[in-house]
Amino acid sequence: MRGLLPFLGSRLLRAAVALWLVSTVVFVVMRLSGDPVPLLLPPDAPRSEIFRVRAELGLDRPLPVQYVVFLGNVLRGDFGRSIHFRQPAFRVVLGYLPATFELGLTAFVLASLVALPIGVVSAVRRNSPVDQVTMGLALVGQSAPTFFIGILLILVVSLKLGLLPTSGREDWRNLVLPALTLGAFAMASIARLTRSAVLEVLRADYIRTARAKGLSEALVVTKHTLKNAAVPIVTITGLQFGTLLGGAVVTETVFAWPGIGRLAIQSIYNRDYPVVQCTVFLSTVLFIVINFCIDLVYGLLDPRVRSI
Amino acid sequence: MAEMTRREVLKIAAAGASAALPGVIASPAHSQGTQKRELVVAQGGDVAQFDPHMSTSSNDIRISFNLFDNLTSRRPDGKLAPGLAMEWKLQGQTTWVFKLRQGVKWHNGDPFSSADAKFSIERTYDPNTKMRVNTVFTTVDRLEAPDPATLIIHTKKPDPLLPARLGFYGGQIVPKKYLDAVGPDTFNQKPVGTGPVRFVSWTKDDRVVLEANPDYWGGRVDFDRLIVRALPEMAPRVAALLKGEVDLITQVPPDQGERVKANAGTLVSGALYGGLYVLAVNSKRPPLDNPLVKQALSLAIDRETIVKELWRGRGVVPSGPIAKGDNHFDASLPPLAYDPKEARERLRKAGYKNEEIVIETTAGYMAGDRTMAEAVQAMWRDAGVNAKVELFEYSVRAQKNRDKSFKGVWWSDPTSTLRDPDGMMWRLLGPGGPQDYWRHPEFDELGNAARFSVDEKFRADAYRKMTKISLEHFPWIPVIQPYEDYGLQKHVEWTPDPLQQLEIRRFNFKFRRA
Repeated sequence: MRGLLPFLGSRLLRAAVALWLVSTVVFVVMRLSGDPVPLLLPPDAPRSEIFRVRAELGLDRPLPVQYVVFLGNVLRGDFGRSIHFRQPAFRVVLGYLPATFELGLTAFVLASLVALPIGVVSAVRRNSPVDQVTMGLALVGQSAPTFFIGILLILVVSLKLGLLPTSGREDWRNLVLPALTLGAFAMASIARLTRSAVLEVLRADYIRTARAKGLSEALVVTKHTLKNAAVPIVTITGLQFGTLLGGAVVTETVFAWPGIGRLAIQSIYNRDYPVVQCTVFLSTVLFIVINFCIDLVYGLLDPRVRSI
Repeated sequence: MAEMTRREVLKIAAAGASAALPGVIASPAHSQGTQKRELVVAQGGDVAQFDPHMSTSSNDIRISFNLFDNLTSRRPDGKLAPGLAMEWKLQGQTTWVFKLRQGVKWHNGDPFSSADAKFSIERTYDPNTKMRVNTVFTTVDRLEAPDPATLIIHTKKPDPLLPARLGFYGGQIVPKKYLDAVGPDTFNQKPVGTGPVRFVSWTKDDRVVLEANPDYWGGRVDFDRLIVRALPEMAPRVAALLKGEVDLITQVPPDQGERVKANAGTLVSGALYGGLYVLAVNSKRPPLDNPLVKQALSLAIDRETIVKELWRGRGVVPSGPIAKGDNHFDASLPPLAYDPKEARERLRKAGYKNEEIVIETTAGYMAGDRTMAEAVQAMWRDAGVNAKVELFEYSVRAQKNRDKSFKGVWWSDPTSTLRDPDGMMWRLLGPGGPQDYWRHPEFDELGNAARFSVDEKFRADAYRKMTKISLEHFPWIPVIQPYEDYGLQKHVEWTPDPLQQLEIRRFNFKFRRA
């Protein structure tokens, strides 16, 4: 129990600093990128109208004042009203979260279920044809651009074979192709990292000892190797989880999936400051929470971490 | 044959893998008749506003023109037909009297009357409502609704185009009673109109669901539901059409059109765009202030090649600043000429000293803008012009448009909102207009006189003279009048509209029934 409170305290402090830094950077960058008012009014709107709208949105005030107002509102959970949707930004972003979670979680589960066994098998059967084929595929998965994989899947699986719908969000069949596309990169990187982590452990002295004392290979791998290889695997898997949940612009665009990645990009084009700020803020919170959970898992997996 | 075998094998494999896959293998709609009761449309982006007065974007008006009606109705052939107004006439010079249709009901059951029409038009320019269409009815002085079936509109000066203005955006009629009761925000979320479809639901960035209005005054449309999906990427949008998941897709570029045509169950249907793609010119900056240089730039563009190669024939070469199909389009004018030798000669006469001329473009604000910019750059270089392409994103373009800070030539796709030069050339190039980078006293005098004249002969003469001036001074260098192409299932019979609003009514749509 000793050390948990300071651990939590320092984590929370770091999280708060990270959130503040990210919010500030987004605030500044969005305002550097230009004025939303020209996008809101007809091209022939008079200048007085531009000034009126600018004042209405609070954009006529000095930047430091806007910043203080923004921080004060965020502390109260108020991200302002979306300039484009004319609704509270938080409500807009919340509306997109279910689709993002659905896709991100499916992609993650799919990626982990496929990648972890592949990584272990490749390591155990190192340099065998299985290893070479799966690692070759992983290389392709990691290097092929998402839009290429997405459109290829649509053309082959949907159009040519007629197996699944091309796009949209209706039932589970609509989820398969975007989840595969989105999960491809994570799948490849988890598989490759799992392989190298397991290989690393397989070379350790205690594995030689385990084998020497006559344990079956299955037991050596499951009991002695996996547990020791878990820390880097959990790290990369957790990071991928955060990335997948943060929205996926390209996959969402190709498959017309209504998630926050697309919302963020459109809001950037529309200079919809409140929505962009809210999206980035929530994604950051999510990432921090996941990282925090990973830290806790370290403690469970590795007794040495607990004593630090 | 090989394809059939593979499909058979997969069918068996899929059936074997799981019994829980019924209907997984969809067969594309190859038959040309259908029993469908649902029309699925896919466009490139989601709707942002349902309130028709809050938007002029094409993704929005494709829906709002079906939820709402106008007093007048612009038909695909360019002619005005009765809408909520059955007839109208001009009394004196500035008083228009509209006889309104009786017995029309709003989607919530309230009766439609002249009070709604008066309220709607006043709402567009009321400074308190902050509507996007606030400049459409600047010629209107005041309105009267003496009885439920009569609307009188007084204009500040004679306005021959008022019925045309009422037929396009800004002119949609909204329900006064409902709007007063629920306020603009709820109205924008749950719109109520008089149109052929009623609002059901909206899932952001996914789909809008609408249902047929059974009591529509123009006759019930031949479906139960209309679904409008947002499919932002072109390749998946075409794939969805080819697979039969959607019935109609918008904005099919020429290269994809060939895929759609090659497929057994689908076809391409297009309407000549009611407007032009032009290179607008900042005539204030040397050397573009010299008419000879601009004439040379126009002569150096091989428009035939652009139409044939970049647009695969889906467009026509313009003859001037008035779009084909508009009032006062002069069919006797030849297409704009390509003559690089003459271009060089005029550059020499102009004393052109190899000053840089920038072509400002986005990649995708207009179909093919970037590719066309690169083609024009190459053509101009061949003629001895020091041309350079500058690329930026859409919001930068909007900013430059607003600040009037374009520095060379830039792509513009003027829409002829009234199908008349007043709503295009004069609206954009006139004094104080969005593209006011050039002034010519005679052009200004003629444009102003034509706007306020109800004498069509006088107007025709004025626009002929303005065209002539424009072809000497080139405030716009017209490049192409393209087709707006749509992809359709063969069981959809629909006539597209030149102004992008995708109206679906009995006069232009039906399912081909099996």
